Amino acid sequence: MAPSVLEVLKQEFQGEYTREKVFSFVKVQKEKYFDAAKLLRENGFERLLTVSAIDWLDENEFEVYFLVYNPAENVYVKVSTRIPRENPEIQSLSSIWENSAMHEREVWELFGITFEGNTMLKPLFLEGWKGPHPFLKDFDWRKYVKEFPM
Amino acid sequence: MSFYAEFRMLSEKAMTFNFPPEMPLTEVFRGRHVLDMEKCVGCGLCEKICPNLAITMVERGEADEKRSYPQVDYGKCCFCGLCEDICPREALKLSHFPFIVVLGRDALVYPPEKLAEPPKLEHPVPPKIKGITNWAISRSFWVNFFFTGCCFIEAAPWVGSGFDMERFGMLAKGSPRHSDVLLIGGYVTVKTLRRILRIYEQMPCPKYVITLGCCPVNGGTYWDSYNTINNLEKYMPVDIMIAGCPPRPEPIGLAVVLAMNAVQSGYMGKEEKVNKEEGFLEVPSVEESREEGEYSIPFGPQHPASGNFDVYFKLEGEHVKSARPNPGYLHRGFEKLMEYRTWWQNIMLVQRVCVLDGASYELSYIGAVEKLAGVEVSRRVKYLRTIQAELCRIQSHLLNLGLIGGATGFDTMVRIAWGDRERILLLLEKLTGGRIYHIYNIPGGVRRDLPSNFKDDFKKEMKYMLKQLDLYDNLCFNNPVFNGRTKELGVLPGDMAVRLDVTGPNARASGVRFDVRKASPYETYDELEFNVVTSEGSDAYSRVLCRRKEIEESLYIVENALEKIPGGKLFERNAKGGLRLSPFSPLPKGETIHCVESARGELCFHLVSNGKNTPYRAKIRGPTFDSILVAMPKVLEDEHVAEIPVIYWSLDNCPADHDR
Repeated sequence: MAPSVLEVLKQEFQGEYTREKVFSFVKVQKEKYFDAAKLLRENGFERLLTVSAIDWLDENEFEVYFLVYNPAENVYVKVSTRIPRENPEIQSLSSIWENSAMHEREVWELFGITFEGNTMLKPLFLEGWKGPHPFLKDFDWRKYVKEFPM
Repeated sequence: MSFYAEFRMLSEKAMTFNFPPEMPLTEVFRGRHVLDMEKCVGCGLCEKICPNLAITMVERGEADEKRSYPQVDYGKCCFCGLCEDICPREALKLSHFPFIVVLGRDALVYPPEKLAEPPKLEHPVPPKIKGITNWAISRSFWVNFFFTGCCFIEAAPWVGSGFDMERFGMLAKGSPRHSDVLLIGGYVTVKTLRRILRIYEQMPCPKYVITLGCCPVNGGTYWDSYNTINNLEKYMPVDIMIAGCPPRPEPIGLAVVLAMNAVQSGYMGKEEKVNKEEGFLEVPSVEESREEGEYSIPFGPQHPASGNFDVYFKLEGEHVKSARPNPGYLHRGFEKLMEYRTWWQNIMLVQRVCVLDGASYELSYIGAVEKLAGVEVSRRVKYLRTIQAELCRIQSHLLNLGLIGGATGFDTMVRIAWGDRERILLLLEKLTGGRIYHIYNIPGGVRRDLPSNFKDDFKKEMKYMLKQLDLYDNLCFNNPVFNGRTKELGVLPGDMAVRLDVTGPNARASGVRFDVRKASPYETYDELEFNVVTSEGSDAYSRVLCRRKEIEESLYIVENALEKIPGGKLFERNAKGGLRLSPFSPLPKGETIHCVESARGELCFHLVSNGKNTPYRAKIRGPTFDSILVAMPKVLEDEHVAEIPVIYWSLDNCPADHDR
């Protein structure tokens, strides 16, 4: 177990923190998002499993999060932060974990969140798509499929 | 190839199945519905639970005695059996009849009267042969396969020795200009459709189009995805449709015989007509910037070794300078589709994320849901799930061995490995009722118990498989030609594997000793003894060898599990806080992550619930996203262009997994 790093995350970054067996869930402020990632990387969290987002439409916020793993201590940590839904922007983690650029590219395409410092932000899955970002909660697929049957 | 192996193959019985009516169908397979109209009370629960809106209630009878009965559209049905489970009167049941092969969309709608009739295989009408040319064409169909979606998995056995397409004179062909038949293997996205139309245009007349599965007909399981082509006929003519999700290989054979008979009788295919929506469906031209002396070549999506995925290579001479993956041909938006379906309905959606290893996806999703609900399942259920997952891992690794055989030009391996895979699929079918998509787990338990003679069946197959693994060693791993084609190719150093988040056999073959089954054991892996197979080679050979050894390990795990399996409840209804699990029950607020070891590496489901009966957000972290989209381009750098397929398949891609 790595209580020290998580303890630091909790205190230094004023994060909210819950635990469930090997999984820890940490919430930090947007300003601390990148520093938290850096701290984790320096403390043995070698693998980044994913970067993703949740659209909290009612609160008009996006939750951006990443999931990392420490192989030596067998601990997973999910770090999340909230950003406003208008012009969503957050720092890219690609300078910390190389593979995050591709995950962020997916989030950029599906949610429209821009990652500062990521040079890969080009369409990944979709070709010639002109509609809204497909994973937004206010884009109703069932209505869309009815209106524009392919 | 050693003489021993050759003599063994000559002396043994052929492994090819007879074509209908003697088919190896188990009684538990989920096929066409049968309706008992006397028992049906018209409650409409089947209509309510159906995740694909395949069932509609229609009224029958005279004015004052009107009753409603279910009508099933096999252009949408995915044969999950949720309707059978929920029917309070056992009026609607699934038979094990798989043959639904039709010539038009309308014939796929089965009204109650037709559902009430017991299913019967109608043999195709013998042809009235019109001329030697027609006869000759029908006896030498060259099939252009385009693995657009999951259904290809059931067309693949026709290449293997289990079903053996060559006995019908059929040949799988990569070039559209030499093909007569376009076989569309399942789900079609907008991006894929552009390629299909181009291939169709390039084929010479007469040409025939066969579609597999519900998706190209009616959208199937993904009918509400923004990226789905719900009606392929709007864009190009289709001759034969085979319903199923995916259809078994037997109905595909029936469709082939139907097509052969029709062509012998003079059928010349439908009139060529392509609708490109005023250029919207043209394939966009790609202009890569390149320096002098550089070549740019695409690999896939219509390539025998690519799957529905494509990569742009920049070559310097014959060596790869850089690679740029272009995924998305199978992007259905699973994560958002799950938001539209109840926790219960999603059990039939999750394994479709990766057709090659569905069981792990079921386990990961169910594990996360059960954590959210706070339900503790019996140990018997955990053992059953372990058995299912390990059998599924074996068949996935066998499929990969076959693909490696194909990539190295060693066709014997394709035939043998895929022939053996059929036997494992038969075991899975006996256990779960499904060959590919088992839909075996439900929140709180499993859907059926271990069949009475399963232990004996498995022992027999295990004995056979261990003998076969010896044969693989002789044919493949000790073969200098195979060694020469795979050793020291596509080297992925261990530290790079960790840094780029590569897991599973790919990382273990580079000496990374990480296996979720050992690190954070789920189900019953803490009670079973097994070794984590690793190797230090880091090359294509090590990765393939790692999988071959894992097959052996998995066989022992299943054997061990079958010995230890205790008695216990198959379904636990009572969850935390007095919650009773049912198909429409909501789950408490919260979020959870559950990771399992799939055949390709670490797989996690992250589920967020806001207290409703559908997920608020589901995130699937598949193993191939990093191993293929991030690590593969680096592994391929400086390799010879002819080695691309070998290295690509040694990394074991599943395009559906990274596209989702």
